[in-house]
Amino acid sequence: MSAKSPTVFLGMSGGVDSSVSAVLLKEQGYHVVGVYMKNWSKDLPGMKCPWAEDLADAKRVAVKLGLDFLVFDFEKEYKAKVVDYMLSEFRAGRTPNPDIMCNAEIKFKLFLEESLKRGADFIATGHYAGSQDGRLLLSCDANKDQTYFLYRISRAAVKKSLFPLAQLKKPEVKRLADAAGLANAHKKESMGVCFVGDVGMKDFLREYIAPQPGEIRELETDRVLGFHDGAVFYTLGQRHGLYLGGGLPYYVVKKDLKKNLVYVSKDLNSQALWTSELSLENLFFRSPSSLPRSGAIFVRLRHRAPLLAARFEFTDRAKGLGKVTFPAPVKRPASGQSAVFYTGTAPGSVCLGGGILV
Amino acid sequence: MIYLDHAAATPVSSRVLKAMTPYLTEQFFNPSAAYLPAKRVREAFDTAKGQIANFIGAKGNDLVITSGATEANALAFTSVKAEFSARGKLPTAIAPKILVLETEHSSVLENARRYGCETIRVDHTGLIDLTDLRAKLTDSVELVSVSLANNELGTIQPLAEIAELLRQTRLSRLQRGITTQLLLHSDASQGLALLELNVARLGVDLLTLNAAKVSGPKGVGALYVGHHVHLSPLVAGGGQERGLRAGTENVAGAIGFAAALEAVKGHTAAARKKYTRLVENLKSELSQAKAPPLFLGCPKHQLANFLPVSFPGLDAERLIYLLEEQGVCVSTGAACAASKGEPSHVLRAIGLSPAEIAGSLRLSLGVLNDEANVRAAGQLICAAVNAEAERLGYVR
Repeated sequence: MSAKSPTVFLGMSGGVDSSVSAVLLKEQGYHVVGVYMKNWSKDLPGMKCPWAEDLADAKRVAVKLGLDFLVFDFEKEYKAKVVDYMLSEFRAGRTPNPDIMCNAEIKFKLFLEESLKRGADFIATGHYAGSQDGRLLLSCDANKDQTYFLYRISRAAVKKSLFPLAQLKKPEVKRLADAAGLANAHKKESMGVCFVGDVGMKDFLREYIAPQPGEIRELETDRVLGFHDGAVFYTLGQRHGLYLGGGLPYYVVKKDLKKNLVYVSKDLNSQALWTSELSLENLFFRSPSSLPRSGAIFVRLRHRAPLLAARFEFTDRAKGLGKVTFPAPVKRPASGQSAVFYTGTAPGSVCLGGGILV
Repeated sequence: MIYLDHAAATPVSSRVLKAMTPYLTEQFFNPSAAYLPAKRVREAFDTAKGQIANFIGAKGNDLVITSGATEANALAFTSVKAEFSARGKLPTAIAPKILVLETEHSSVLENARRYGCETIRVDHTGLIDLTDLRAKLTDSVELVSVSLANNELGTIQPLAEIAELLRQTRLSRLQRGITTQLLLHSDASQGLALLELNVARLGVDLLTLNAAKVSGPKGVGALYVGHHVHLSPLVAGGGQERGLRAGTENVAGAIGFAAALEAVKGHTAAARKKYTRLVENLKSELSQAKAPPLFLGCPKHQLANFLPVSFPGLDAERLIYLLEEQGVCVSTGAACAASKGEPSHVLRAIGLSPAEIAGSLRLSLGVLNDEANVRAAGQLICAAVNAEAERLGYVR
């Protein structure tokens, strides 16, 4: 390895994306150090945390490619910055996105700082995202783009970050993994919150939040249809796990945390499920100057959801409050989720920032 | 592929498979059923138990067939008269009832812990510290559990000597009017193919056996239970196995286990000789590596097929991944401990430094090895060690 080649600390999860990133970075001549971030290792009853297997998968790839490999232990910080935040949001009746918090607080902050301290020139991850001069860009793979989870990372962090998959689509990444003979080329993709693994968020929350029985009522009639074990466990739009019997499904349309009530409706057109205006708080702009004066932007309301034309305006700039309005009603995401702003819909469009739904 | 991890698993031999197959197919009957074909299955099961028992100098009725060594170990500890509270918890500040070696397999340690146990120290070769055992053998102790051979080091324990110490202790207790039982349990999962075992000569009251390590099927084990030992069943139900292990008998499993033992019976001395030679060859190959190997365990009292070795300063996990690329399968400590990413408690107990533990491999030979593939494996391990030593800038 040439002494002059820049050193990249690559976050390796054991999955195919970060593994192929390692292959690509090495080909590009970087001195690559693989790093597994140990964020959560606790097994909860009935839930096997797969961290040891993921670590082994990551290390196997690193060894195969001849990379140095390190483990950064961020468990304490992850618990404080991500898990505790998540729990307090749920307790407040909201539905937070811990992955967004993990990227902003752990991967593109702690991991970056620790890597730079240990001699890295850059960090890299296997995210599907692009970057240029600190700007975060929509990746080439419109279907896998992960900028939704990255919108709150700092501009300075993006400047120090490499996204080797920016120009690739998932099927190509899998082909590259096969071509490189990586054992994890066909590993099942992890879905949802990383540390919750295969089990649902609700099972995870139950370990921390005591169940409290309450009524499930029909929004239109206020009729009691059934019972739940804690309104905090339910999220807007949810239709599974209500146990209200057969027929047309009911959707959660409203929660009353004070009275511990969950309101449901069969009406998919229920006013409670749709809106053409969303209020946002905790706004985070990657570069305020790039926000078009007209406020015309594109908004993504969920990971992989379509980019919708919308208008943004501040309602209280000093307090970081604003709203987006859509030409037609959109399905209302749960409070605590993020709306993320872009300049356009094509690959390479700039991610402007976003905010959290009130 | 060259497989050097026979302490973790062994392939079922064709002879074993052939013996088992009829009992998975046409002889499928429930041995408890009343009609004649079922009676014949019962007879076959009892015969198999007799053969397994015969291997250790016992009778078929002395055995309980289990789902493996872990269950057998758990069942063995039910011999202890523990007074659990209504919530299934032990009363606090209880005097220890079980003594176990600190290097025992987790299936012994974790099950013993449920009853309140104390650990006995080992020396730097993994051999039991008999002085420590004597000191901890208080009058509350009901059971001592010492494996026949350690599963990471292969160190063979002086069971007969321990049994003699327990015999004297029992005598002394009786002389002082104390009638608390004192039993000896041993997990003999490792070494069945290499040692002549006899429960009377070993002086054990309980002995755990495991089919999976002698080319028998996985999920089959047995517990030898001395006549005077009283156990409580872990599984309640139809009263099979004299009420000690409910559930329809694993007929094919027991028959496979018996066939596996029949295959090694009478060949233990020859096997010892063979593996001693292969291990010696392997040792001299490994000594050529650029990072000097540290051979672990107790050469005088070690299972002939075991070669625990450390390359201090190297990362054994990296060696495993490099070697798997070359088609060589080796392991760090016990598979179950290694998968949790925790440093081996066995290697800590024999006083290895963190760097020595991190660089430790367990090589265990068996039926899939011969002179040629062991030599090839030795060379490939050396190459992997050299590559890692160079990566880290080590020069011998």
